[in-house]
Amino acid sequence: MYIGIVKRVIVALFTALLVVSCGKQNKEAFYNTGIIYCSESNPVTFNPQLDTSSTTSDATSHQIYDRLLDFDPDSGRIVPSLASSWLVSNDGLTYAFQLRKDVKFHKTHYFTPTRNFNADDVVFSINRWRLPSHPFHSVSGGRYPYFESLGLAQNIAAVRRVNGYRVEITLRRRDSSFLANLATDFAVILSKEYASALFDAGNPSKIDNLPIGTGPFKFESYRKDRFIKYLRHKDYWRNDELAAQDNNNMPASKEFDDESNEEAQAFNAASKQGDNAHDELLGVEQLIFDITPRSSLRLAKLMTGECDATAFPAQTELEVIRTRNDLTLAEKPGLNIGFWAFNTQRPPFDNPDVRRALASAIDKNTLLEAVYFDSATRAKTLLPAASWAFQNDADDTAYNPVLARQLLANAGVKEGFSMTIWAMPVERAYNPNATKMAELIQRYLRDIGVEATIVSYDWATFRRHLQDGLHDSVLIGWSADNGDPDNFYRPLLSCGAIPSGTNRAMWCDEDYDRLLNEALQTEDIDERTAIYHQVNRLLYERLPLVPIAHAYRYQAYREELNGVVINPFGGVRFGGVEKTL
Amino acid sequence: MPQFSLYEEEFHPSPWQRTWAAFRSSHIAMVGLIMLGCFVIFALFAPIITPYDAVEQNIDGLLIPPSWTSNGEISHLFGTDALGRDLFTRIIYGCRITLGTAFITVVLAMLVGVSLGAFAGMLRGVRSSIANHLLDALMAIPTLLIAIIIVAILGAGLVNSMWAITLALIPQFVHHTRSFVRAEMKKDYIVASRLDGASRWQLFIHSILPNMIETLVVQGTLALSIAVIDISALGFLSLGAQSPLPELGAILADGLDAAYLAPWNVAVPGTVVFLMVLSINIVGDGLRSALRKRVSH
Amino acid sequence: MIQILTRYCTLLTITLLVLAVMSFSLAYLFPGDTLENLTGLVPQNDVQREALERQFKLDSSVVVQFFYYLGNLLVGDWGYSFTSGLPLAEEVSIAMPATIELATYAMLMALFVGVPLGYYAGIRSYSTTDHLLNGASMTTYSFPVFWLALLLILVFSLQFDAAPLSGRISLLYDVPRVTGFILVDVLLSDLENKSLAFKDALSHIALPTLAIGAITTASMIRITRRSVIDVKHKAYIAAAVSRGLSSWQIFTRHVLRNALLPILPLMAIQITTLITNAMIVETLFSWPGIGNWLIQAIYQRDYPALRIGMMAVSTLVITLTILVDLFNRLIDPSREKYEHAAV
Repeated sequence: MYIGIVKRVIVALFTALLVVSCGKQNKEAFYNTGIIYCSESNPVTFNPQLDTSSTTSDATSHQIYDRLLDFDPDSGRIVPSLASSWLVSNDGLTYAFQLRKDVKFHKTHYFTPTRNFNADDVVFSINRWRLPSHPFHSVSGGRYPYFESLGLAQNIAAVRRVNGYRVEITLRRRDSSFLANLATDFAVILSKEYASALFDAGNPSKIDNLPIGTGPFKFESYRKDRFIKYLRHKDYWRNDELAAQDNNNMPASKEFDDESNEEAQAFNAASKQGDNAHDELLGVEQLIFDITPRSSLRLAKLMTGECDATAFPAQTELEVIRTRNDLTLAEKPGLNIGFWAFNTQRPPFDNPDVRRALASAIDKNTLLEAVYFDSATRAKTLLPAASWAFQNDADDTAYNPVLARQLLANAGVKEGFSMTIWAMPVERAYNPNATKMAELIQRYLRDIGVEATIVSYDWATFRRHLQDGLHDSVLIGWSADNGDPDNFYRPLLSCGAIPSGTNRAMWCDEDYDRLLNEALQTEDIDERTAIYHQVNRLLYERLPLVPIAHAYRYQAYREELNGVVINPFGGVRFGGVEKTL
Repeated sequence: MPQFSLYEEEFHPSPWQRTWAAFRSSHIAMVGLIMLGCFVIFALFAPIITPYDAVEQNIDGLLIPPSWTSNGEISHLFGTDALGRDLFTRIIYGCRITLGTAFITVVLAMLVGVSLGAFAGMLRGVRSSIANHLLDALMAIPTLLIAIIIVAILGAGLVNSMWAITLALIPQFVHHTRSFVRAEMKKDYIVASRLDGASRWQLFIHSILPNMIETLVVQGTLALSIAVIDISALGFLSLGAQSPLPELGAILADGLDAAYLAPWNVAVPGTVVFLMVLSINIVGDGLRSALRKRVSH
Repeated sequence: MIQILTRYCTLLTITLLVLAVMSFSLAYLFPGDTLENLTGLVPQNDVQREALERQFKLDSSVVVQFFYYLGNLLVGDWGYSFTSGLPLAEEVSIAMPATIELATYAMLMALFVGVPLGYYAGIRSYSTTDHLLNGASMTTYSFPVFWLALLLILVFSLQFDAAPLSGRISLLYDVPRVTGFILVDVLLSDLENKSLAFKDALSHIALPTLAIGAITTASMIRITRRSVIDVKHKAYIAAAVSRGLSSWQIFTRHVLRNALLPILPLMAIQITTLITNAMIVETLFSWPGIGNWLIQAIYQRDYPALRIGMMAVSTLVITLTILVDLFNRLIDPSREKYEHAAV
């Protein structure tokens, strides 16, 4: 008898616990004040000048900082950002920028700015990477891989402050991609005032760990492998612009003419209140990067609502996202290339015939199907179709294992030759599963008598070792930073890009560099395109790398987010994105 | 004249036969035994039963659903995984690896544990007390921790995880043997043997061990179920069996990436581990009840 | 009484010392440089290396090194982690309470749900209810914990959207760390929407606790049931029945306490299994506890973290086990008899 009561009490408690903890989540207004973005890895630093990895750019470039110029995500044109206008001299060597006024830097718990953005900040930001003698040049390592791979520091003759809001940059040689390079994620503008304060206090490296910029969000805290917390920058200079945009997008609010009943009165009052709240709150109060390395976990969090947007959904997950009503999958043809690069400084990979043999041993179409699940197109050259210099009729290697064996035999490579394939451990748009691709290539190579071992490390260690040239071959890729074809060819295969680590094939060819420089001398699109076609031919003959695929770019997010735009030319941007119920 | 009796001979079943009869009377225990038998057959005859190779990738047949769904084929009974490997084959080999490794682990742990326990049980005085308490305390270190340390020192892999689990199972056997031996030492028949002049070694082999075997078997089944769960857990965490080795936990971990597109990759290995452990537990429980019934009657 | 206490204190000290020796020797056993494994600091050049070696007494004998190491441990200087560079004492002090919280709630669930159910099954032994309960607990007990957690995620998180599947609380809340127990910290903090945050934390803790607790509860039910059945067969119960006591009186006066006693030593083993299960479940739910931290450390080969983590978890488990043992010894007058209680 008594036991029965005890039993009932236990059951009741248990149910109560379940009921309290269950229930539909997150329908309170509080949850609209923050966006949680599931990112795939830790940023290496908080200053994108120092690193080319897209994790770092995604986390910082469009969140904390602004650039002089930006790319319009739809047209690809260069639009003003911190530079409100610019003039190019007739000889193409001098660029004059008129800077925007009333741009405020972040005020955080570690820094309070006393002045607005002006020319000093631009000069500081550029000279930091340009001049080895600059006091901040060697801070945090002293490597600026993107700029080094372009040789920009050598090409810029002078950066001159004309007055408080005008800067002049003089080049040594004409460079028709210069403006595009200033619009990339890496050309961010830092705060000179902050830098000086840090320098005086003896902590110069804090400029890259506790960053200050002019962007829509300011840094709050960072826990490695966990999260990055950003707070809204209330005095962001773009707020007025975004307000105008939003007012255009918002539906006209209804007003009840007949205010006799309570409902109508309440509705009118609420909509007025909503308008006021809307004027104040442009974007959200908090932006949080939830660092989640596994993509299946990112998708799960997206589905339960613990993340509002996610990075790099895996190919297998795209179908699931498409079928669900509460998730949106935005798709755009990507400006990227996934490739298999050989370490051309290591024998026998310095022999172009060996490289051609290995390239002919694999069937690219199978790789496309198995790894990209039809969300990519076959790549014949480095440039994807979205670029204006795309060559549709370029030459391409074909699947020919017989030819492969022959070439290997002629080159003196014996049966059972062993090599390593380095597969990156993270997902990227240009290669969602490098390990799987490596396993498939391993099988193809086994068929021609080559034993391949797959090597991988955690991402930071991986890139370090690649830079040291420890690999035989590597499966990696490149996402464009601007729409200019030079942005593909130069950082990937030019001689100058070897020390900066973006030239994975460790390839240095005079003819190649010569052609690239020629292309920069002219502004004429057709001339440039013709030169790039020649470059493609050269690459097909010498094959330092095997282009595999151009992938689509995807962004997966919940339907509650408004204003998310895929940026094919750079990192994810959350300024102005809002959340509604 | 030879007498034949119409009455049945008196039939005195041996203890083992009595245990078996008691075991058979429980239907659930028999079902469990049959299930366990199936797993053992899978483990032993894996290469003969399976249609494909466990690690062979089939690029054309990725993520085929199991045969009982509309898109499945009968040639792949449980479907295929993300690299085109047949899931049925991998599961059968997985049974072999998981069950086989667990079995070896338990046998090893039993040998070492029983010897240590017998030795500790026959000690006297302060030494025994210290040894006992130390062992009890060290018994408390979680299996996963031991596995992590061993993996850190020796590297990941199935064999290394085996060492870890053996180490974790030994204290149980030691504890059990020690207490059993200590209790038996006080009993009359042991005293009688000692008065007869038996050495400790002879005492153990001829007097104590035969009495211990039944409870040892029960302990063994308990340890086996723990070992199966631990091996698959370590395989799941990639600390034990490494992909592409088809261990059941590792297969589950592989399938996790495509869990929404192909849920059978996750459902089938998990269910198999569950059924394996369930059958072992049922058999163990049945054995225990049978022993109890035999002793109490 | 004092005798027993001193005995257990000595036992505890000796065991902890043994653990410290093991933790120290791991610095040598782990691959890589001993100095780096010991301290977590990577010397940049030879000058630094020599200075560090002198500081950590690596130029003297092993015994001296060990005593210096022991001194550091007691003071709280545990070295630095390879991966994060933070001091290990800080990392452990953040991660440990998370696991303890999870384990505590699971244990509470096992005690308050499992033990009463076990009693019920034992009293009504071999009836239909008992068979159902026994079967259910056997089935739950046979689930591998990671499979159970996975099923809970698939069903409750993804299918029904009833509970979240990662973390302790939504990242939008900034809860200052006071005790390390998230539910307590939320109540102690001064956030504006405290009740919302509390509900959020509760929903995050529900599924992991359920996963771990279900298995421990199943064990508890089985142990308690067996103990009650054993007690029921004792002579004094038969005597009580023949004296004419009602079943309720027999239950409260005899069965309740006598059945409880054999359970205690077995609880110690349960704690070990509980911590192991908690460590595995933490990885599935991204719960920032010591299990998750250790498993990430082994993936990234963070040797100092592994050493200290092993030391911390072992200390916790062994201390709890010894405490339970002590408690058992203190309240049970006839300890010897229950030395080998079988399940």
